[in-house]
Amino acid sequence: MTARRVDTLIDELVTEARPVTPLAPPGRRAFAWLVAIAAVGAIAVYARSDPGSVLERYSGREIQLALELAAMLATGVLAIVGAFMMSIPGASRRWLAAPLPPFAAWLILSGLGCYADLVRRGPTGLELGESWECLLFILATSAVLAAPLIWRLSRARPIDPQPVALLGGLGIAALSAFVLIFFHPFTVTFLDLAMHLAAIAVVVAAMGLFGRRTLASA
Amino acid sequence: MLAAAQRGDAEAYRLFLTSIVPFARAVARRRAVSDAAVDDIVQDALVTVHRVRHTYQPGRPVKPWLRAIVERRSIDALRRHGRVARREVSNPVAYETYADPQANREDAASSAATLARMTEGLSPGQKEAIELVKLKELSLAEASALSGQSVASLKVNVHRAIKKMRANFRDREG
Repeated sequence: MTARRVDTLIDELVTEARPVTPLAPPGRRAFAWLVAIAAVGAIAVYARSDPGSVLERYSGREIQLALELAAMLATGVLAIVGAFMMSIPGASRRWLAAPLPPFAAWLILSGLGCYADLVRRGPTGLELGESWECLLFILATSAVLAAPLIWRLSRARPIDPQPVALLGGLGIAALSAFVLIFFHPFTVTFLDLAMHLAAIAVVVAAMGLFGRRTLASA
Repeated sequence: MLAAAQRGDAEAYRLFLTSIVPFARAVARRRAVSDAAVDDIVQDALVTVHRVRHTYQPGRPVKPWLRAIVERRSIDALRRHGRVARREVSNPVAYETYADPQANREDAASSAATLARMTEGLSPGQKEAIELVKLKELSLAEASALSGQSVASLKVNVHRAIKKMRANFRDREG
């Protein structure tokens, strides 16, 4: 009985099968997506931000700024590459952990920067800057990035969409925070950092919920 | 074989799907709670293979790709089983309207009438194919031996009959 059911199913699948074009390797697809987003991001930063004022704010802490930016970028890139990798059956689960070391480095570097600011400025280093705007910036940029990312990821029809959506969420949130640095009008305080983390958590949670559903129905 | 199937080679695809069944069964058996669950997982995995066959990259090993699909479907089946076991109690008697088993067969007459309406317009060959392959669940080889139709024409007749029955059903509902 069972063998017959499997035979019948195979017959049905063969009958309705049409030629398909194999997807490009996930690494190449992730690279193409990142290059497209980088091009748009570079135009936005060139047109709207003032890199001179960023360097001025971080005057004397250029190396820390460079490391912080590198950690943010590495977090975003590794999370996006991991999302594309995990959208294909058989990818290593290690991709889930890949963005965590640079994410930890980013938090440590930002925390140290906040601490240095606190020591230099005294209690004002604890104040809430214009954090709501930062939160809105990360949420809005992430929403803009989420649509093309979900569209590209859904091409693979992931068999386990949850980790794909979570990694994608971390990726777009980290890239949004990276772009934010170029528009940040003040040095980051502890409360600002907490707001940035809250925004990232909201983006990851939203992707885990809505992105997963969209990918599951692809 | 899968690379050829991606290009539209139906025979290569059939060969591929048939050849992966034992492997899928072996992977599923490690996680499944019953033999029936193994069969469900294998069928679920075959449908998933069909849905995501474009994600296989020609030239790469197929086993890790396939194992991931079967394991995923096994996990899904385990979760489903866990959910059902937590919330539902099996009570086959609840499906019976009357204590006397023969009395419950009253609906059989209306079911037969519905089936007769849905098979209206089918050719004799299509009716025979549907009856042997779908209703009596014979294998294609057995149905071919009984009916004298070739396996290929049985498949075509089943396919066309199902399309026609769907159309009949839609007309009736609409």
